[in-house]
Amino acid sequence: MTELLQALILGLLIGGVYALMASGLSLIFGVMNIINVAQGAFLILVAMFTWWLWKSTGVDPILASVVTTPLMFGFGWVLYRTVISRIRGSSTSMSVLLTFGLALTIEGALNVTAGNKFRSATPSYFEESYHLGSISLPKPQVYGFVAAVLVLSALYVVLAHTWAGRAIRASAQNPSGAALVGVGATSTAALAFALGTSTAGVGGSVLSVLYPFFPASHYDWISRLLGIIVLGGMGSLPGALAGALVLGLAETLTATYWSLRWSTLVFYLVILVVLLFRPQGIFGTRLREDVVA
Amino acid sequence: MLRLRRVVAGYGGSAVLQGVDLTCEPGSITCVVGPNGAGKSTVLRVVSGLLRVTEGEVTMGEETISSFPPDEILRRGVTQVPQSHALFPSMTVRENVLMGGFLIRRDKSLLASRMAAVEALVPLVAERSNDRAGNLSGGQRRMVEIARCLMLAPKVMLLDEPSLGLDPRSLAAVAELINRLHDDGVTVLLVEQNVRLGLGLATHGVVMEGGKVRLTGSAREVMDHPEIASLYLGGTRATTAGTTADPAARAHPPA
Repeated sequence: MTELLQALILGLLIGGVYALMASGLSLIFGVMNIINVAQGAFLILVAMFTWWLWKSTGVDPILASVVTTPLMFGFGWVLYRTVISRIRGSSTSMSVLLTFGLALTIEGALNVTAGNKFRSATPSYFEESYHLGSISLPKPQVYGFVAAVLVLSALYVVLAHTWAGRAIRASAQNPSGAALVGVGATSTAALAFALGTSTAGVGGSVLSVLYPFFPASHYDWISRLLGIIVLGGMGSLPGALAGALVLGLAETLTATYWSLRWSTLVFYLVILVVLLFRPQGIFGTRLREDVVA
Repeated sequence: MLRLRRVVAGYGGSAVLQGVDLTCEPGSITCVVGPNGAGKSTVLRVVSGLLRVTEGEVTMGEETISSFPPDEILRRGVTQVPQSHALFPSMTVRENVLMGGFLIRRDKSLLASRMAAVEALVPLVAERSNDRAGNLSGGQRRMVEIARCLMLAPKVMLLDEPSLGLDPRSLAAVAELINRLHDDGVTVLLVEQNVRLGLGLATHGVVMEGGKVRLTGSAREVMDHPEIASLYLGGTRATTAGTTADPAARAHPPA
């Protein structure tokens, strides 16, 4: 029983971090129909920067997200205005090509500047845990989960209770309808892209502590994140959260009761099985079929 | 007064509108009728700024608005209800209507008073406040679309095929709402395939064909015109009283 509880709690902690990382990808797809396959590379870029900051100044890697998040927001804004906006109105496959090019560029730049080797930030609490009876909660996972909850809550408040958030949701659901009420398509898209990119600021800092990484790790991460948002329902933020929690639990339960080696395979098997029964994903929207969005 | 002068506009290099002249008197309901492809909806897109004119101009009062972006035209009180559904399906009815006040979002008291006025005029907004717009019927969605436009207290309202896909009961409700807007002094420019309904609601009629205005006049004159009867109404005059056509052609071609 203790083993099961331990696995469930670890699964939720990991799932929360996955949700944080997938939320940006989901937001960007939901608003702009852009599949940002560079999101994994953004995570690794931030992880590398966080590692360097921790190594050279000793600053806590997870707290470093206070710096990396606004930096990534600015980076996302500039990137949208200068590069991504050029493919506005193009097909989704064009966005995959462009952002894949971006990912390769970031990977190449990191290879040249940082070298092709594994790194991991190991702050003082790296191997410490909190204990609740016989349950142990690794501190890095707990801090990562807390950061994820804070960011996802902030994202929820922005999207649900601010005019900027309403404009983003309106553009995601009906771009021409949004234009009719005076929502600027370009500024809203730039804001959504910047918000989505900024989640990689926190996500990358957390990643630098929880997982070893090297420049080409972004392939693993983008595969995982795409799996999460497909499972949750493309473009749905609650879906990304649900998908991430389901997959986090599936991974840890497999690692606990079967084998760590099988946990990655089970991750994708769960996606396959769920999509067989719910092709629109867990939170894929179902409205009246005559609604033109 | 809303006026289009020699407007040429289109898509991808081909001109859908080929020199359109059209005038809407303040407080009037002008109904544009014509066959598919005549350019009726394009007229509305040009007025709302969603489509740029390549020649000619659109003026409101003394001001030329055809060079403005859509949000600037919206700020001048020109709102549009498009032909296809324009709501945000996963948002609630209240959120949808609130989004109509996006341009006045910083003035919270104005926003609240407009919301109250809209709820009074369109009770559905309060009744279904927390329902998702995507779950409303076609008629209800149309009412909410119009309600959303009212958040800016428009001077000119552009309605594209308001009767499209509506049952008779919903149609009557939409028609009543349009009449109330007219009573409140809103200028309405509507495009309608249902010629009887459109001209029955309107004070003025415009017939378009091939991107040009063929006839203009009072709604009654246009409805009684024999050519309209033969083109759109199966050879008899469109009257609500069911009388036969008066062959006298009082409607006149554009100046």
